Amino acid sequence: MRGIGAAAQATYSARALRELLFCAAEVPLGLSILVVPVALTGLPVLVTLLVSGADPGHQQAQPAGPAGFAVVAALFVLVALLVLAPRLARRLTAVHRRLAGRVLGEQIAGPKPIRSRGPVSWLGATLRDGPGWRAAGYLLVQLPLAVLGCYAVVIWWAAGLVNMTYPLWWAWFRNHPPGVQLSPVPVLTPFGVLHVATLAGTFAAFAAGGLMVAAAPWLTRAVVRADLWLMRGLLGPGRLERRVADLERARALAVDDAATMLRRLERDLHDGAQIRLATLAMNLGMAMDRLDAEQDKPGLAEVRDLVGAAHQSAKDAMTELRDLARGIHPPVLDNGLPDALATLAAASPVPVRLTTAIAHRPSQAIETIAYYCAAELLANAVKHSGADTITLTVTGEAELLLLRVTDDGHGGADPAAGSGLAGLAQRARTVDGRLEVTSPPGGPTQVTVELPLRA
Amino acid sequence: MAAAMPGLRVVIAEDAALFREGLARLIESRGHQVACSVADGDALVAAVARHEPDVVVADVRMPPTHTDEGLRAALELRRAHPRLGVLVLSQYIETRYAARLLEDNAAGIGYLLKDRVADVADFAAALERVAAGGTALDPEVVSQLVRSSQQTEGLAELTPRERDVLALMAEGRSNAGIAAALVVTASVVEKHVASIFAKLRLPPSEADNRRVLAVLRYLQP
Repeated sequence: MRGIGAAAQATYSARALRELLFCAAEVPLGLSILVVPVALTGLPVLVTLLVSGADPGHQQAQPAGPAGFAVVAALFVLVALLVLAPRLARRLTAVHRRLAGRVLGEQIAGPKPIRSRGPVSWLGATLRDGPGWRAAGYLLVQLPLAVLGCYAVVIWWAAGLVNMTYPLWWAWFRNHPPGVQLSPVPVLTPFGVLHVATLAGTFAAFAAGGLMVAAAPWLTRAVVRADLWLMRGLLGPGRLERRVADLERARALAVDDAATMLRRLERDLHDGAQIRLATLAMNLGMAMDRLDAEQDKPGLAEVRDLVGAAHQSAKDAMTELRDLARGIHPPVLDNGLPDALATLAAASPVPVRLTTAIAHRPSQAIETIAYYCAAELLANAVKHSGADTITLTVTGEAELLLLRVTDDGHGGADPAAGSGLAGLAQRARTVDGRLEVTSPPGGPTQVTVELPLRA
Repeated sequence: MAAAMPGLRVVIAEDAALFREGLARLIESRGHQVACSVADGDALVAAVARHEPDVVVADVRMPPTHTDEGLRAALELRRAHPRLGVLVLSQYIETRYAARLLEDNAAGIGYLLKDRVADVADFAAALERVAAGGTALDPEVVSQLVRSSQQTEGLAELTPRERDVLALMAEGRSNAGIAAALVVTASVVEKHVASIFAKLRLPPSEADNRRVLAVLRYLQP
C-alpha cells in the first residue's frame, strides 16, 4: 500500500503538475511557427480563389492580377523571414527559455546579444549568428515534440479526466425509466473509441480514464525531458562556450583573489609590524631623549651608544618595511587610481603631466594592474628614454581602461628585447588586456595599455 | 623636560592602541596635556568639539574604511576651527593628500611620516610649530610637491641655493634651523629669504605670514 501511495505521490507531485503546465504552454508556443507556412501558402491561394470566384470570366485574360502579386508578396516575405530567422528565433526562443525558468526552475543561459554597427554589419551579423540559427533549429526540431505534447495533454490528461466523470453523467442525464433503449456514448481512449451504453460501462470508462491519468504524467515528463534536452543543447551555451565562461570566471576569481590577498598582507603589515616598529622607534627615541638629559652621569655614554644604534636600526627597518609594503600594495590605491597615480607622478624624477578621466571605476585587481603598469612604464621612460617630460593619460570608459604613457625621448624601445615591456604585456594579458608600443628611432615613445574594467 | 611651549592641549586620533599610548606618553613627556585620545575620525571631530584643543595629531588611515578618514576629519576640523593646528601622521606620504591639506591655507598644518615620531625632539618641535600656526611638512612631501610644481611661475628665477632654502622653509624650519641644515650663518639665510620673497613678489605685510605664502606658492601643484 505504501509503495502505491509513494508512487502516486511521485506521479502527482507539484513537479508533475508543473511539467503538465509547461507541456501545455509549450504546445501553442511550439505550434505557433506553423502560422508562417500556413499564411504564406494560404494567402496567395485565398487571394486566387477570391479573384477567380469573383470574376471567373476574366481569369484567363489577367494571369498576373492580384493573385500574382500575392504570390510575389508571399515570396518576398519568405525571403525576409529567412534572412531574419536568427533574430526572430532568438526572440521566440527567449519565451521558451523564460517559460522553462518560470515554470520548471530550469535556468538556461541565453546567448550573448548580437553586436553590430551600421545596417550592412547588422545584416552580416544576423546571417552569421550561430546561436540564432541554432535557436531556429530548435524551433523546427521542437515542432514534432509540440505535437507529441499536444497528444499527451489532450488524449491522456484531458480525455482521461473526462472519462473519469462518466459515472456522474450517467447519474445526471441517464436516469431514464427501465426498458428505454439508449444510444451508446463514445469514450475516447488512446487505443481507440469505445462505446458504452450501460451504467457498468461507465465504470469501465472511469477505470480506463483512471489508468490514462495515472500514465499521463510519465508521458508529459518524457516530452518535457526531451524538450529541456533540446533547449540545453540548442539554446544554452555550447560545451566550449561553457568551458570558456567557466575558465573566465575562475580566472577573474583568481586575479581578484590575488589582489585581495596582497591588500590584506599590506593591511596586516600596516596594523602589525609597522605600528610595532614605529612604537619601538618612538620609545627608543624617548629613551635617547632621557639619556641626553643625563649626559654627565658616568657610564651612561656606552648605554647611549647602544640605544642610539638600536634607535637608528629601528628607523631603518621602518623605511625598508615601508618600501616593501608599498611594493606589495600601495594603500592609496584604495582611494582610486587618480590619487595613487598623482603620488606616482610626483615621485618621478622626470616631470610627469598626469591626466585622469575615469567615469567608471574599475575593479581593484584592474586598478592594481594599471597602477603597476604605470609605475613600470614611468620607470622605463626615466631610465631608458632620456625624455624631458612624460605624459601619463588614463581614461576609463564604459568597458575599457586606457592607460597611455608618452615621452619625448629618443625612442627605439623594443618590447622583444627583454625589457620590462614583455612582462607588462604578459600582465595585461592575464585579464585579456593589451599592450601596444610605438617607438620609432628618434622618438617619441608611446605605450598604450588597454584593460577591461573587470577581470 | 623643559618644553619650549608649555601646556598645549592635544587630541590624538590613532587606531593602533600601542602607538596611540606611546604618542600620548611622548607628548606628555614634553610637558603638554593630552586631553583625549580617540581611534577614528568621527570620534576625533566630537572630541575636538568637546575639548577645544590647541592642536590635533591624527593618523590618516583609521576605521571604518582604513583609507583616508583621518585626512577627511582633519579637513573638516580645519574648516570648522580655522585656528586649530592639525598635524597629520601617515605611514606613507601621498602627494594628493598633501595637496588637499595645503589647498587653501598652509598655516597650522603638519603632514609627517610616522617615522618622524622616532626623533622625539624634532617631532615635539613640529607639533609646537603647528600649534603656533606654522607648518611642518615631511621632507618627502616637500620633495614630491616641488617636483610636481616645477613649472610654477616665479620659481624659475630662484637660484638652486634659494630653492634649498625654500624647501627647508616648507618643512617648517626657522632661519636658524635652515642655517644649521645648510651649514651657513643665519645672516646668509636671511639674505636668501629676502631674495626669495622678492622674486616671488611677496611684499612685506602685517597680516599674512610671508613664509607660509612663499611655501604655498612653492608647493602649489
